[in-house]
Amino acid sequence: MKHPSFILVVSLAVSLFTAPLCAADALDLTIPLPLTGKQAKFGEIMKRSYEMAAEEINAKGGVKGKKLALSFEDSGAKPEIARAIVEKLIDVKKQPLIVGEYTSSCAKAVAAVAEERKTPYLIVASADDDITKQNYKYVFRQNEVNDHYADALVSFLKEVVKPKTIAILYESSAFGTSGATAMEKDAQKLGAKVVLKEKFETGAIDFRPILGKVRQAQPDVVYTVSYANEAQLLMKQIKELRVDAKLYAGGAAGFAIPEFIEGAKDAAEYVVSATLWTPQLKYPGTKEYAERYKSKYGDYPSYHGASAYAAVYVIKDALERARNWNQDGIRDALKATNIRTAFGPVKFQDKDGYQNQNFMDTLAIQVIKGQFETIWPKQYASAPYVYPIPSWRERR
Amino acid sequence: MTSIQIEVLLQTLISGVLLGGLYALIGIGMTIIMGVMKIINLAHGELMMVAMYIAFILFSLFHIDPYLSVFIATPALFLLGVAIQKYLINPVLKVDSILPENQVILTVGIGMVLANIATIIFKSDYRQTPVDYATKAWYLSDIWKKAPIELSLSMPWSVSFVIAVLITACLWFFLARTDTGKSIRATAQDHDAALLMGVNVNRMRVITFGLGSALVGAAGCLFIPIYYIYPDIGGQFTLIAFVITILGGLGSTVGAIIGGIILGLFESLTATYVGMGWAPVGRFVIFVAVLVFLPGGVASLLKAKALGR
Repeated sequence: MKHPSFILVVSLAVSLFTAPLCAADALDLTIPLPLTGKQAKFGEIMKRSYEMAAEEINAKGGVKGKKLALSFEDSGAKPEIARAIVEKLIDVKKQPLIVGEYTSSCAKAVAAVAEERKTPYLIVASADDDITKQNYKYVFRQNEVNDHYADALVSFLKEVVKPKTIAILYESSAFGTSGATAMEKDAQKLGAKVVLKEKFETGAIDFRPILGKVRQAQPDVVYTVSYANEAQLLMKQIKELRVDAKLYAGGAAGFAIPEFIEGAKDAAEYVVSATLWTPQLKYPGTKEYAERYKSKYGDYPSYHGASAYAAVYVIKDALERARNWNQDGIRDALKATNIRTAFGPVKFQDKDGYQNQNFMDTLAIQVIKGQFETIWPKQYASAPYVYPIPSWRERR
Repeated sequence: MTSIQIEVLLQTLISGVLLGGLYALIGIGMTIIMGVMKIINLAHGELMMVAMYIAFILFSLFHIDPYLSVFIATPALFLLGVAIQKYLINPVLKVDSILPENQVILTVGIGMVLANIATIIFKSDYRQTPVDYATKAWYLSDIWKKAPIELSLSMPWSVSFVIAVLITACLWFFLARTDTGKSIRATAQDHDAALLMGVNVNRMRVITFGLGSALVGAAGCLFIPIYYIYPDIGGQFTLIAFVITILGGLGSTVGAIIGGIILGLFESLTATYVGMGWAPVGRFVIFVAVLVFLPGGVASLLKAKALGR
């Protein structure tokens, strides 16, 4: 019976019969995201969250009676691969809507493809400002942009730390560069002088030279924008060199995921970071999602996961309201979105030069006793902030 | 110079020397293979990657400290190197080929195979061995209370450096004093003469490749407490080893040690005084400069001095 051609015939027959059936009662959605490579950690958090949301929706009867069937394609955080995946999804699979990707470079590439093919694209966690400033009609962004990532952090600096000088260290990526530029502008508003602005290569081993400069400049605040590995290595070496500052701050991403505390250990203590979401927020469904995620995977999700989770609900909402499930029907429905999700309220607006951008309150978190605590704005705080922080020498 | 500037300079020199010591160990492995076989082993970094994964597995499954896995990964890499030489490179040596250097191309292929096997087994995730002493350091002000400047010495970096120096010393002893070591050097100096003197040249080749792999394997274990791993990490270290081999003078062990330290110092100094993004540029400036102005590398300087010229 195990003759290869027999199996082939059977599987062909099965697929012939089931394919239209599938299309009839399931809604296929393929999501591109990084599952291998440097950004795999973020991709993993997001994939789990997409799946959790789809499961919940399916358990409650799906979208207009259709079950959501999610599948994932690995882009490895490489823009050219992300681009190819999305071209295939739109041209071959005729998927009328794209969700996903993580890095800003990939999202930029995907946004261009989606706009060209008039297919709505919902961005979940890519922060580079430019993406929603291109007059794109079909590109929607649910997360806050880099320019405003640090809003809560900046207000914390302004009201509590009141720094006179600031050093900005950033990774040489689209995300790092735009984050650093945004902080430079914010520093001006704060009246703090940027005494050092240094770029480092992704994959650097030894940050001591750069830290030597930081020590020479003696800034009040050290602000770093980077993804996961560098954030950990940098804090470890700061601790080791005892580079003292009034505050160490990070611009979300690598500083706002549980791996930061696991990897940098005690060097992570008291580090403040901007973030878009914390499990301690009081939005509808936030707590349930966070607890369910934790009981399933052992750790609280980061904002990346929450945004991915909420994105599935945003899609469900748009699909239910859409006049038809064509590209333009879905696009118009997305444009009219106005719902509250576990990630926060979602509403796509044209404002301040952005198009289809969701604006939201950002937060500041601090690592206190090996845990992320929300510290700012005060109405969201889960614990009082620790400031001033002890110097490295006092910490032993 | 203010005291803070002196402090930055000294700290830069310290990290340059520590990094250089590790670079030297990576470079020596490639250089002795180069000396004996007259080929550049372009799978060098991938062999290091294999050792790093061995150390990673031992750490995450059996909680064996990466420094202890030097004793496990190094022999394992020796065997791997021996096998590669015996079953892959030696057969290719015997075949007439279009390109005279087809063993070099073979090493590129071996490197790719290793990297891709690692991708299949471990995915391309970034992994770490979170050791407890990762951020431990010694401080000048702890020893000398009234020190005008503050210097620190990272514990894992220093331990890695000291082990690298010890391994290099052992290698030197092996090459200078033992019979096998002398045979290896004889093969490197003159392949035909060694053959005439009754040295089993083929066997020396196999041992040398094993030795070169073992050295870079040790380097891998020393790197893992201070860095992280992913399957494609090999390329960057092959490149570093290659630059050191050229800098040190092809095939010279002492040259490779000096070359490694020079490269480490140069990278640290460029990172401090030019910019961190410029460190890789500096690396290639050295590479090109050596090829143009000092084609024999450090070894040719040493030779010239020995001959009193």
